[in-house]
Amino acid sequence: MAGQPLFILLCSAEHEKIQMAAMLASVAAVSDRPVTLFVSMGALPVFQKGLSPDEAYKGGSFSKILRDKGAPDAITLFGQGKMLGEMTVLACSMALDVLGWELEDLTEDLFDEPGGLTKFLNDAEDGQLVTL
Amino acid sequence: MSKRTTIDAKGAFCPGPLMELIAALKLVEVGDEIEVLSTDKGTVTDTPEWVNKVGHEMVETVEHDGYWSVVVRKAK
Repeated sequence: MAGQPLFILLCSAEHEKIQMAAMLASVAAVSDRPVTLFVSMGALPVFQKGLSPDEAYKGGSFSKILRDKGAPDAITLFGQGKMLGEMTVLACSMALDVLGWELEDLTEDLFDEPGGLTKFLNDAEDGQLVTL
Repeated sequence: MSKRTTIDAKGAFCPGPLMELIAALKLVEVGDEIEVLSTDKGTVTDTPEWVNKVGHEMVETVEHDGYWSVVVRKAK
């Protein structure tokens, strides 16, 4: 039986927060919890297609430790969660608009569709919402 | 006849070993076992939690010199 849906609102460009979101999303998805990830604001440019991890992730001292120690790459983790569990990834349509981007400008095979905040909030009434 | 597959995830950090275990379980038959070798101590506590949540079976956890062997049987 599926567990309580998990909704993650990811707004931060900080590597540490994106890493935490990726860990939450991937582990929940493979633990029979449907996950919806809504990526907006400063988090969206992190997912620009073609960026290296050094270009994508901006963080503090812990970000350096994560990279130096070879912690799992956050974007790869999102992909694993999507592949192995039930995960929907939405790119905030407003953030796409202000950047002048389309889904094609983002990490390949990760985003399902552009999403609006109203629907995300309505859907999240049925689950647990985490904001990072 | 069931078989056991070993995954060497030593050096991988959370949730790497768990994700490798889950990916491997997708590829084997019900009754088969996956052994994960991990240096991540969280694997020892997180794997039984995950197994219990999704309905597989824990076989054993063995501590070796600097790493753990965690064995899970695919139950469904």
